[in-house]
Amino acid sequence: MKNCITVMIAVLLLLALPLAVFAGGQGEQGEQVEQGEQAAEKDPIKLGGVWPLADITGDQGSKAAQLAVEEINANGGVLGRQLELSVIDSELKPEKGRSAIERLATVEDVDIFVGGMSSGVHLGQIPSLKKYEKVTMWTGAASSKAEEAVGPDADWYFHLHPWDYTQGQSYVDGWGDISEKYPEIKVSDWFLAYEDGAFGTGSFQASQNLYTELGEMTGESFKSAATGGGDYTAVLEHAKEYGPEVFIWAGYDADALPMLETAKAIDFAPPIYLGAPPGWPQGFGESPLSNYVMLYGMWAPSMNSVSGVSKHFYEAYTGKYDGEPQTYFAPLSYSAIYILKEGIERAGTLEKEALIEALENTEYDSPLGQTIGFSPSNIIQHQGIWGQKILQWQNGKREVIWPFEYQTAEPVYPFPGWDER
Amino acid sequence: MSKYIKTIVMAAVAVLAVAFPFYTGAYPQSIAQSVLTYMILAVSWDMLLRTGQISFGIAGFFGIGSYAAVLSMLYLNLPPMLTILIGGIIAGAIAGLLGIAVLRLRGMYFAIVTLAVAEIFRIIMTNLKGFTGGPEGELLPQLIFQGNPYLTYYLMFGMAVLTIIISEIFLRSRVHYALTAIRNDEIVARSSGVNIFKYLVIIFIVTSVIQGMTGGINAQTYGFVTPESSFSLDYTLLPLAMALLGGIYGTMGPVVGALLLGIVSEYLKLYIPYGHLVIYGIIVVIVILYMPQGIVGLAARIRKAGARNE
Amino acid sequence: MKTSKNLQLTIVGIAAAIGILLILWKPSVLIYGLQGAGLYAAVALPMALILGIVGIINLAHGEFMMLGAYLAYWFSTQFGIDPLLAMIPVLISMGIVGVITYKTTIHRVLGAPELNQLILTFGIAMVLSQVVNLIATSQPRKLSLDYVTASAKVGELSFGTYDFIFVAAAVLFLAGLLFFLRRTKLGKAAVAVGQNPKGARLVGINVDRTYLIIFSIALGLLGIIGTLFLTSHSIFPLVGGSYTMKSFCLVAMAGIGQLKPILWGSLALGVSESFIMSFQGYGGWADIVFFAIIVIVIISRAYKRTES
Repeated sequence: MKNCITVMIAVLLLLALPLAVFAGGQGEQGEQVEQGEQAAEKDPIKLGGVWPLADITGDQGSKAAQLAVEEINANGGVLGRQLELSVIDSELKPEKGRSAIERLATVEDVDIFVGGMSSGVHLGQIPSLKKYEKVTMWTGAASSKAEEAVGPDADWYFHLHPWDYTQGQSYVDGWGDISEKYPEIKVSDWFLAYEDGAFGTGSFQASQNLYTELGEMTGESFKSAATGGGDYTAVLEHAKEYGPEVFIWAGYDADALPMLETAKAIDFAPPIYLGAPPGWPQGFGESPLSNYVMLYGMWAPSMNSVSGVSKHFYEAYTGKYDGEPQTYFAPLSYSAIYILKEGIERAGTLEKEALIEALENTEYDSPLGQTIGFSPSNIIQHQGIWGQKILQWQNGKREVIWPFEYQTAEPVYPFPGWDER
Repeated sequence: MSKYIKTIVMAAVAVLAVAFPFYTGAYPQSIAQSVLTYMILAVSWDMLLRTGQISFGIAGFFGIGSYAAVLSMLYLNLPPMLTILIGGIIAGAIAGLLGIAVLRLRGMYFAIVTLAVAEIFRIIMTNLKGFTGGPEGELLPQLIFQGNPYLTYYLMFGMAVLTIIISEIFLRSRVHYALTAIRNDEIVARSSGVNIFKYLVIIFIVTSVIQGMTGGINAQTYGFVTPESSFSLDYTLLPLAMALLGGIYGTMGPVVGALLLGIVSEYLKLYIPYGHLVIYGIIVVIVILYMPQGIVGLAARIRKAGARNE
Repeated sequence: MKTSKNLQLTIVGIAAAIGILLILWKPSVLIYGLQGAGLYAAVALPMALILGIVGIINLAHGEFMMLGAYLAYWFSTQFGIDPLLAMIPVLISMGIVGVITYKTTIHRVLGAPELNQLILTFGIAMVLSQVVNLIATSQPRKLSLDYVTASAKVGELSFGTYDFIFVAAAVLFLAGLLFFLRRTKLGKAAVAVGQNPKGARLVGINVDRTYLIIFSIALGLLGIIGTLFLTSHSIFPLVGGSYTMKSFCLVAMAGIGQLKPILWGSLALGVSESFIMSFQGYGGWADIVFFAIIVIVIISRAYKRTES
């Protein structure tokens, strides 16, 4: 019986622990305020970021955001105040992502939320974001389910990442433009291989209706190597049977090379071989198979030649961290911080109404190439980026094909057959 | 004297737990919510474990409950509290049918079958696109209690208290002694004339109902289901680890384990943002190596050693 | 005895008939099914070895394979050698990893309840994948090798041939292990230890050393598989998890201590998965077949045992 008491006391202590956590948080906050005062003689502006830090997207996204913060602070901050970014790991789990928001809101007492990657995590966070209604600049979540969950009334919610359907529309526009400029490029028969999770299925559903503008579209799901699959023979066999003009796959970076290898092994070489993963594996460009694979993406290092902001971002990032930015979440998160900076400067205050209005008038010349501003999408009021770009792997580099204003290379068409290489 | 102290301590625990939302903020509350979720799963898993059956299907029943709650609300427009109950009933019904078929299996075989069945349900929910929303899942139009954090805390808290009470009742029941006998020696138990199988099925159903209802509450709290998050293997592995670290074959062990691991993981994350999961893994390994009986077991040993020294 | 032989003959007959039908109707199903089965079996065999002799369910199984693959990647890029050549240093390194893991952790839980062993290996799995994640990031890596796209053409059908290497590996593993366990002194001792550690100790076998050797051999085999895996798959820190689960299922399906049934089980699973996937639009259900077969086999075997 006595050991029971010991344990009970332990439980008691554990239950009382939140008091310490809470008080501890307050203490830290106090210290930080002091430091801020010494540095800028004013409180820092607090940004709260949530990313999956063990994932390359969140790892680099959070680091790029931190880079932007440091740059801004080195140039005197915003409104004479320093920026301060607190980052918490979402661990790619909805409940952890939500707790992170709760902590940032109540313990860290941030002024603005940034970050984000993964629609599933975002669905878990949205109720908390709605509770606090702080200005939110979100870099992730493409699923239109997330848009539905945010709803039309959230005027404080700014969404940078394209939704699945706006993304789909941008591709339709892009291919329309391309086939107009290069009449030899045929894009009326499509086969979409999509991974069987939320990401791939969402892409498929979003594009199914849209692509009818371009022509016929059919598709099939496959299990991504990222989720324990990685057998592409069946889906590629079916694609080969169908004989599309454009073969497109929506999966993850882990699928990129093995799928190409399988395509070569079964001798499937469609005129356009197009990939739409959120990132590419290390050294993809070095593989001889990768040449002339087309891809959707928001950014590539080749954009440094057409965009000064991109060049600046790239050099700053590689100067501060090891290795180059591997996914567009890095420039995207970097942009999120700068958009906030511009908004706060224009508003001249952190007061919510004024800040929202100022952000609505944002015109930020981003490292992604385009100038980012906000306008309403299907449900929400402030959608930032509408589409991705169409690029092509050429000699180990991702060259931009469309939009033509950022074009870095002419498209190579058709995708050469495997024995012609 | 010791009984006196025990009552006081217990009362203090109860008061602190009940008053929890009032002396903390939204952040500890959201942590508490997830700690309670895992605590319920850990205690219910331990209840089945006491019969000698290791279940790897927690995530399965949790996911079934989540989906049942959300789908019954979307399609039948039932009140949220009722849908949670439905989540439990459906999970229990499935457990009943499954249990009759597989509870005769022992050890690893039972574990594998429960794991496989959980996976099967996840795949069904992923592939029935028209009905379940497919891989993207379904959203609820609104959260339970309009998202009131106090009420949602008390809902999960109530579920936890209920689970702890059921667990204690089982511990004190005559069935428990028979079941402990099964665990230790099946032949003895069989010859004692207790109908083991019937009790196995009942306990399997009860624990599955608990897990299903917890899934339902969780889905109603977050307002969505997706196959990936609702059937996440975390819901199987973390409760196991928590129960083991706290100490198995009792109510207190899983409770302490869930509290400790839940809070430690959150702390680690704040202080080691990049790489905290390594430390978490190392803690699991060290505890298993040096405290094989769990924390409750260790406490008992220390008390005993102390008593001997006196 | 006679009925069981008849039963075996019938099963072999049915399997052969299905095989011939498949060759005629959908030859690709058989080819890809076989290749998939090879990988399943090759990964599962070392798990069965550990479970059968050391008596541990190793939840870090896939993570050790992942570690082997990363080691192979490192050797291959660092010294500019072909990963297949890197197999030798990987085999040795994984053997050493096996010794260290056994001495520091596994050794200490041998007498503990199986749940403790389970959670211990779960913790090891977490440490392994997260350490690799910290060092190498979550971004997948893939070597670009010419020979993995080798293909053959039969009539209209063009298919990849490289993945048959997994079939070869599985068969070689099995043959090697059976030879080792039945013909060598050490192997026979290991079998004795697996069946009855106390008895083995009485007749003078060093049980602890046997466990250590078997554990290290199993990890060495996983190093080989990891290397082969690397040649034709992307690797990333969490790549092992799903292989742990599939191996676990296969081992349970085969029965504790059984090696040969793993081959047949893998074949059945590989071909039926490949069969389902060959129907366009139904690929998502292929996974269910895997788990359904596992459940059915385990339950039916249990009932057969209680009847007899």
